[in-house]
Amino acid sequence: MIDVRDLKKEYTDEETPTRALRGVTFTINKGEFVSIMGPSGSGKSTLLQILSFLDRPTGGSYTFQNKGIEEMTDQELAHTRNKDMGFVFQSFNLLSRLTVYDNVEIPLLYSDILPAKRRTLIEEAVRSVGLEEKLHTEAGKLSGGQKQRVAIARALVTDPNVIFADEPTGNLDSESGLQIMEILASLHAKGRTVLLVTHETQTAEFADRVIRMKDGRVESDTMITERVSRGPLK
Amino acid sequence: MLVRDAFKTATRSLTHGKMRSILTMLGIVIGIASVIILMSIGQSAQDLIIGQVQSIGSNLIIVVPGAPSGSGFSAPASAQGIVITSLQQKDIDALAREPAIDLAVPEVRGQAEVVYGNTNKTESYTGSTADFFTVSNLAKVSEGQTFSKGDVDSGNHVVVIGPDLAQTLFGPNVDPINKIIRVKDVSFRIVGVLAKSGTGAFGVDIGNIIVMPITVAQKQLLGITYFNVIVVQANASYDVNFVKSRISFILQQNHGITDSAKVDFTIQTQADILSILGSITSVLTLFLAAIASISLIVGGIGIMNIMLVSVTERTREIGLRKAVGATNGDILQQFLIESVMLTFAGGVIGIAFGAVVVGAVYFGINAFNPALGWTFAFPLSSVVLGLIVSGVAGIAFGIYPARQAGKKNPIDALRYE
Repeated sequence: MIDVRDLKKEYTDEETPTRALRGVTFTINKGEFVSIMGPSGSGKSTLLQILSFLDRPTGGSYTFQNKGIEEMTDQELAHTRNKDMGFVFQSFNLLSRLTVYDNVEIPLLYSDILPAKRRTLIEEAVRSVGLEEKLHTEAGKLSGGQKQRVAIARALVTDPNVIFADEPTGNLDSESGLQIMEILASLHAKGRTVLLVTHETQTAEFADRVIRMKDGRVESDTMITERVSRGPLK
Repeated sequence: MLVRDAFKTATRSLTHGKMRSILTMLGIVIGIASVIILMSIGQSAQDLIIGQVQSIGSNLIIVVPGAPSGSGFSAPASAQGIVITSLQQKDIDALAREPAIDLAVPEVRGQAEVVYGNTNKTESYTGSTADFFTVSNLAKVSEGQTFSKGDVDSGNHVVVIGPDLAQTLFGPNVDPINKIIRVKDVSFRIVGVLAKSGTGAFGVDIGNIIVMPITVAQKQLLGITYFNVIVVQANASYDVNFVKSRISFILQQNHGITDSAKVDFTIQTQADILSILGSITSVLTLFLAAIASISLIVGGIGIMNIMLVSVTERTREIGLRKAVGATNGDILQQFLIESVMLTFAGGVIGIAFGAVVVGAVYFGINAFNPALGWTFAFPLSSVVLGLIVSGVAGIAFGIYPARQAGKKNPIDALRYE
């Protein structure tokens, strides 16, 4: 599903080049739950941005669902983001003045799904995160955990193949963080591919596989054999 | 993104900050209202002026001294204050012999102090023949009568005055007939008071008019032998343009002019005057509308400013929308629709506000001076123009902020604090 070969990303700021990715290679198969870990500046966020089509690499190759990113126009990237990818951000990125319903509807506005079918999809997605009673509540009035569940519902509403989660528990208390990770784990259990960026070991271990990044390279790529106990995240 | 969704999203965004939207719209409201008001009032003024010219009758031809101007927009030399003595009694005599002409009425004009007892007032006066009242459609008197051909031939010191002047000089309870007034220290006996009040052809203030025999006005008041104007009434069985050419021929012959490019008089029919006045008032209206459109530009810049602020404030929203699949075009469309909705709503409110002001002006003028004949003009073209201009302003002033929004990098936008 995701295949990166010698992936590089270089930024040039004021004539000083910064090499954020220095040749990353791995493959993620359909249905995997992968955590990308690493300290600040290791390149994990840059990698996620490229994998989620928000940015393009400056070297190497990236193939998503058998199509190379270099062959795709910006329009096609936007269309793929909408159809095949779901996003969960650390800071939720909800529009606080809109209701839960309207927030979850946003990806559908840019899809080919007709307005008549949207209501069912939105209600299903909100129900799947257990917030059906908050459907018409303004997002700004929700707790942090509820906001992140709305963000997950928004990520799910277009039925994407991959969920990209960038530090999804970073702004939450441990109880809410656990709930979010359990939702992501349940999505994976239903066959969805989940790609998680985190710096918390306990969060990372919800995944089947952990890719550790350091200085723009893959330091280790290991399968998790022993499950963490599902207590509150520390 | 469906256009329906784009409108829904834009409406939500605009209604979220109602006060800001209203204040932003205000510039466009004022701009469109100003354009509408000036165009409508310009149209009313044009209708008034044209109505007055039409009231002189389509078979009247005006002859003024001085060569015609090159373009239709400038007045003949005589109207610019240059004394030209080319129109003389022999011209009247020659014109009177022409079968295509019913009447040829000379006029002289001046301004003088009018005195009765202790009351005095400075007014314009007209010296003419008895036919003046026929060609000017002023034969109706409320008291007395108009002066006769005999009065003109004999140089009798008689005058006909307007009803407002009679009121000013004599008050409500004194009969002005046979009263003696002094005009430029020359005594005149009032023989008639005109019935009609208000404004006549060419803006003549009938209420304060003073008409005296031309012989007296020329000799006693002005000391001249020429005329300021000759008003010709064409015979109804002849085409006005034919009569115009006959007048030209007769006057050229009388003045010994062989080259028609060197004539010393200007002949204007009602159609000529309407054409010139129509052009002048249209240009004037457009000029006023152009001045008013400056406020529209200011309003548009206000919209652009607020839209730029809005784009900055909503950077994270833009980033999110892009992350979940919005293209540059989707974002551009969304902000452009917001801008057009703002200006269009401003345009509609501006048109409504303009209509209220134009209506108030109409009622105000007619309450103050009903005889003026001010009409309510609210041309459909100004409404259509207002709507088009407001829509175009939305695009013109919204495109830059919308493009800025569309071009935002989603990663930077999502990181924006």
